[in-house]
Amino acid sequence: MVNLLIEQLHYTTTLRYNFPQSLEDLQLPQKFIELSLRSMRNMESEYFQPNEMTFNQPATENFEDATPVLGTHGSFTIESIPLKPLLGDTPVAAVDISSIRIGETETGMLCAIRGAIVWKEKGRYKYLRLGPFPFHITEENKKEIYNLFRHHYFEASEDASAPSLINMQTRMGNLLERWLQLGISCSAHDSIILWDGSLTAGTADSPVKVISQLLEIARNRLNTVLAFSKTTNLRLLGHRLTDLAEKSKPPCLLQISGFPLPSGPVFSLGNVYVAKLTPGICSFRLDIDKKVPRERVIEAVQKLLGSDFLIQSYPETLRLAHIFSTFTATEVIGIQRCIAQQYGLKIIARPNVRRLLFGPFGKDFEG
Amino acid sequence: MRLYKKEGNTVQILSFPNDNVEKGDYLLIEDPRVNKKLITQVIDVQFANVPGLLEELLRDSTTEQFVYGEIFDPLEVSSHMNYIQDAWMLLCKIRGTIENEQLGVNVSWLPSRSKSGVKKFPISSLLTHMRDNGNLPINIGETKEAFRFTINAHDLDGKLNIVTGKKGTGKSHLSKLLVLGLIDYGAKVVVLDLNGEYTNLCFSSKGEKNEYHDRVHVLTPGVNLKVSLAQMDLKVMLNILVHALNLPGTSTREFRRIWQSLQQRRVFTLQELGEAIRNWKCNQHVRDALFSRYYSLLNSGFFTDNVAKAMAFEEFFEEIRKGGALILNLRDVSSVDRQIVVEYTLGKLMDLLNQWKIRAVFLFAEEAHLYLRETYWDDIVTRMRHFGVFTTFVTNQPDTIRENIYRQADNIFLFNFTNERDLETVSRAARVDSETVKSIAQDLPPHHCLILGKAVKDFPMVAKVKALDVQTMGHTRLFFTDTN
Repeated sequence: MVNLLIEQLHYTTTLRYNFPQSLEDLQLPQKFIELSLRSMRNMESEYFQPNEMTFNQPATENFEDATPVLGTHGSFTIESIPLKPLLGDTPVAAVDISSIRIGETETGMLCAIRGAIVWKEKGRYKYLRLGPFPFHITEENKKEIYNLFRHHYFEASEDASAPSLINMQTRMGNLLERWLQLGISCSAHDSIILWDGSLTAGTADSPVKVISQLLEIARNRLNTVLAFSKTTNLRLLGHRLTDLAEKSKPPCLLQISGFPLPSGPVFSLGNVYVAKLTPGICSFRLDIDKKVPRERVIEAVQKLLGSDFLIQSYPETLRLAHIFSTFTATEVIGIQRCIAQQYGLKIIARPNVRRLLFGPFGKDFEG
Repeated sequence: MRLYKKEGNTVQILSFPNDNVEKGDYLLIEDPRVNKKLITQVIDVQFANVPGLLEELLRDSTTEQFVYGEIFDPLEVSSHMNYIQDAWMLLCKIRGTIENEQLGVNVSWLPSRSKSGVKKFPISSLLTHMRDNGNLPINIGETKEAFRFTINAHDLDGKLNIVTGKKGTGKSHLSKLLVLGLIDYGAKVVVLDLNGEYTNLCFSSKGEKNEYHDRVHVLTPGVNLKVSLAQMDLKVMLNILVHALNLPGTSTREFRRIWQSLQQRRVFTLQELGEAIRNWKCNQHVRDALFSRYYSLLNSGFFTDNVAKAMAFEEFFEEIRKGGALILNLRDVSSVDRQIVVEYTLGKLMDLLNQWKIRAVFLFAEEAHLYLRETYWDDIVTRMRHFGVFTTFVTNQPDTIRENIYRQADNIFLFNFTNERDLETVSRAARVDSETVKSIAQDLPPHHCLILGKAVKDFPMVAKVKALDVQTMGHTRLFFTDTN
């Protein structure tokens, strides 16, 4: 499978640092673009109701913290690992994606997905934005879209049952994210790869096999994957995990060891750390591939400290990737306009039932 | 374009750059349900406050300096997103309505926001709707759409006009167009030409005599404009002495007596006047005061005892009885002499108008504050206007014209001003809202003029003033000449 993907990406086997230099180096599979276009062309609706704009909504399915709660009993230790920046020019790359609901048609929903890769090279940040790709997902085509996606990216042989319409947006976003992560893992060498989220595996679009392979490819090319979670619900003895680093002197990592390993289909392929990399109020859950030796883990974080800017313990490369993928209100309006114009849809505004019934008391975010 | 908001007589219209709308343009908001159209004029073009724009700009500004990258957008969605970013909000003033193809001013109705269409309304169409019955068009230039732009000479008749703008924007050029346009219809025009800019109106730009050669007469005080005391009316003379030469009250009374004695003796010469002052029984201070004014009159060169050289205004007007201009060349004339000449001219004009020797006269006054006495400002607006003096003030210093002049001006030809104080002054004009003046005038290119008032039926319009094939003489003399 790996070889096939490498071929698709025009991956060259040179061992030197080899980030994508141009679009030719990192092309989206034609299938993905076709899928977007096909789903849009199949729109039979005449009307399109734009989504009322609520941005930066948390995903409806969030597996970031799907790791079971760390044990509240048993013996465990928290080790503070002081860090020293390793100055140098270690390449740092980050991947992030955003998906957003654009609106509804008579038969389905419209969403858009965009990915961003940012890499720091010779003191300069470069980025590659992919998309936005609009999708029209209906009950009829959702399984087809989902399985095409899975087959193409992960070569999953068995068809998975497509998630409900409402979760398709998040799932497809996750699939794109995995593909971009794979692309970076394949093309980078001796680099630090930053992921947004955790190393949780075992979910429908993050199969253990897939995530393991992603990490393996990265390891084989001497890359280290550091997965930063912006938020975490993990608690230890009732305390939020990230609060444990409050009194630690930055830069440092807190390693929690000794708690019982969780069992079940969903688990983390990484060791969980708390990273407090700069002074300030923020610290983050940091997952690092379990199969990477401890010395290399520390070295990788120290290289990150020496090679990237960090603001409030968060790497700039990953921050930029988030910024470049995120949709703004203007962009959503632009996409809505594009869809309406290119596919001849008439924009209608359905009455907001909550507003209709409750007037100013009908808040959209209420359950 | 879509109607977005209405507040007072201001409407906001959402637009995009490819609509190609500029300040001063007219837009028509058409409500098909009621078959009415709202005429609005764009007074400002702003960026629309699109949600999320700040985030966009922040993101872009982050990338400009330190981050380089590419966008892979095979479906070309980005162009639509950029399009939204560039959305405009047009701030427009409601100017009138069209109902059953009739122009009206009833703007008490509100067009539907969801159903109304907004389209550009060319000035040519607006002019057609005005259905101006006037048959005396003066070609000013052209509209933005290159449509011939004319005003009606009737709209200058009996009116008070102001031509203003900063230096080099084309004020004098327009004034000359108006002067020649009026002449074409047989009007009598008097120009108080401070800088001698109008003296070559009768020559083409190549220096050849043009069609106005016989109708434009340049009068230079002391050269071909001299008057004898016999032609002077006591009232005019007293005005000169009091207002131009600041003669005190007691001395004025004595002068009146001296004048009356000369009148009785019928000896109205400068020499006799000097003798009379010398021999008059009066206080020495009074005599000294009278003598100093006497010598001022003498030295002005404007007065002569030679009857053959003395010119009568009546004769000048006779020469232009079929229409023409008398250009009072005040260039190289001292401040005091200028006031003497203007006092005499205006006094004489009033006299002639009073006697119905002339029907009416169009007076063009360049930088009038330099020679017009205080009391004349009110006179021009009220009394003189009723007698038939229709003044056009031309100035690049709008604050030199009194506020009441702006309030009562019938037409204002406004060129570019960048100084807010200047715009504030002009915006006191009663015929338009101050926002229009301030916003549009600030961005007018050279030779473009915002016309306000009766000449445009109170629909402010921007016109590009046409070129004039006359020797304009308005150019500043330069030290560094172009060797090419």
